[in-house]
Amino acid sequence: MSHHTPFNSAARIVRHSALWQAAVVGGFWLAGEAAVRVLGIPLPGGIVGLALVLGLLATRRVRLRSVRRGANLLLADMLLFFVPAVLAVLDHHELIGLLGLKILFVILLSTAAVMFVTAFTVDLCYRWRADHAHNHAEPLAR
Amino acid sequence: MPITMPSPWLADAAGRVLLWSLVTIGFYWGAKRLYRRWPRWWLSPLLVTPLLIGAIVLALHASYRDYIGGTRWLILLLGPATVAFAIPIYEQRGLIRRHWPVLLVGMVAGSLTAMLTSWGLATLVGLDGALRLSLLPRSMSTPFAMEVAGDIGGIPDLTAVFVVMTGIAGAAIGDLILARLSLRSALARGALFGVGAHGAGTARAHQIGATEGAVAGLVMVLVGLINVLCAPLLAALLR
Repeated sequence: MSHHTPFNSAARIVRHSALWQAAVVGGFWLAGEAAVRVLGIPLPGGIVGLALVLGLLATRRVRLRSVRRGANLLLADMLLFFVPAVLAVLDHHELIGLLGLKILFVILLSTAAVMFVTAFTVDLCYRWRADHAHNHAEPLAR
Repeated sequence: MPITMPSPWLADAAGRVLLWSLVTIGFYWGAKRLYRRWPRWWLSPLLVTPLLIGAIVLALHASYRDYIGGTRWLILLLGPATVAFAIPIYEQRGLIRRHWPVLLVGMVAGSLTAMLTSWGLATLVGLDGALRLSLLPRSMSTPFAMEVAGDIGGIPDLTAVFVVMTGIAGAAIGDLILARLSLRSALARGALFGVGAHGAGTARAHQIGATEGAVAGLVMVLVGLINVLCAPLLAALLR
């Protein structure tokens, strides 16, 4: 079978385009959502889709290069998808005023604490392991 | 046969989608360029874009429902974006296999800190009842957080709003912490975003570096799973 017909090259261009690959990733998301609904899995559909893709990549049923550009397209501007969700605050009038300030106070301080503790713990454990396991420690520092 | 016009409702809906989508994408694009030029935390696109759009929505006397009706498809894309994290996680599988105990310790420490400080600080400023419970799971990504909120007696809708507020705060606070703490590993740089600020933090980590993004994505998913599994236990403790 020839691999150099115009049809094959056109198909290859489409397969390697970021937009097509993003649509493929979207297909896996729909599969995840469907699985959650049909099987009654108590997990978000996106997470099931993620596990599915991870499994297919690990068993080499899906090649990295056939989804990678699409995934990068979706991830590079993921913050955009959060913008409409942020405006949901407009719909909660009860959060405007003193109550909102109190909540903001809790969120700011607690988030800073979580990030500090997580980063500190991970860095400490990482250094400890690097110092105690010379044989397989590979420096990660940039 | 008369030409059937599209119903006014349909034309209205299409106009709404077009208008609000263009406004959202346009402002986001501008805010991103601004942030690239002046990377200050208060110029973060996730802070600037909603503020500007909020002002426009209020100025045009449009409602939140109008806006959300026109941009729901953007929120839906968070689903495929979640699935897309499979790719960086797979690419960094060697790193993750080598360092999973470190990440696990960080996730447990971070989750406990989130619950304890939320509870403590909420009590300090006089918040209680369902409102305080709704604040506990806000570090996780929305679907997990809403699940846990329901389990422990919080209000899932309110938790969803707190999750978003945490995302904006976290993307900014994470930058401040990175600038002040000298973290040796990309592992720590990624984990703080994934545990502290779910998807919004992960998106920020992805902009900092590929390794940071992969670690944040993995940690975000695992923290959500661990917490959903522990929620019944937590609910029993809170009762």
